[in-house]
Amino acid sequence: MTTDQLTTTFAALADPTRRAILARLAQGEATVNELAEPFPITLQAVSKHVKVLERAGLIARGRSAQMRPSRLQGTGLKQAADWLAEYREFWDDRFDRLDDHLRDIQRGPRHD
Amino acid sequence: MTEAATAQELTITRTFDAPRELVWKAWTDPEHLARWWGPRGRSTPVESITIDLRPGGTFRVSSISDEHGDEMVTIGTFRELVEPERLVLDEAAEDSWHDGAESEVTLIELEDGRTEMRFRATIHTSQEMIGIAEVGITSGFDRLAEQLAAR
Repeated sequence: MTTDQLTTTFAALADPTRRAILARLAQGEATVNELAEPFPITLQAVSKHVKVLERAGLIARGRSAQMRPSRLQGTGLKQAADWLAEYREFWDDRFDRLDDHLRDIQRGPRHD
Repeated sequence: MTEAATAQELTITRTFDAPRELVWKAWTDPEHLARWWGPRGRSTPVESITIDLRPGGTFRVSSISDEHGDEMVTIGTFRELVEPERLVLDEAAEDSWHDGAESEVTLIELEDGRTEMRFRATIHTSQEMIGIAEVGITSGFDRLAEQLAAR
């Protein structure tokens, strides 16, 4: 899993509506219409949340063109479950970049 | 923070081949932060960074995915600032996957001119996230079973 994907997963989980959608899907697959029921937001807004979750690999959607029910996706969720290990990797990667940056600015030719 | 929140700790120690003042700057100057905050595959525009460098001041950094443009925002408040050796940042639970987090950065000047950085993060997780994680573990097994059954 790349750290960009990891960030996408954390960002996807950052929204309470999206977490509620995941909790609903834990009970079984559902269409966007079904998912929208408990929320005081538009179908379009729910559809947007579903897309974010899909991109983060947390859910998958069926192929049937009309309904496209969503269901939880194990791999993405498993990674979220291992979030502490993932979080370490996330910071490690960030500090690699910090290391590179510190090297770059000290090495660079300075003519000031 | 909810009652059910549990805290977990993460510590990382790194040595950088740079003087301590420079490492401090890298953490507190937007021009520097924009260059490393990342992570890889993401851009951190310098104009998206707000740093009010005083105890109680705001720290806000946004990183944007190069691939699909979604934004990840880190918002915090400086709880402690001792230039150039220590900063403590409280990350808000709002708009975050966690239920609040604290990051402590300690910079130690080494005799050879390098700098040791000790990073410690304490992350609070809500019962809700633990629930999602449990589903994740279970559905991970389900998927494995599905894959095995499909062979």
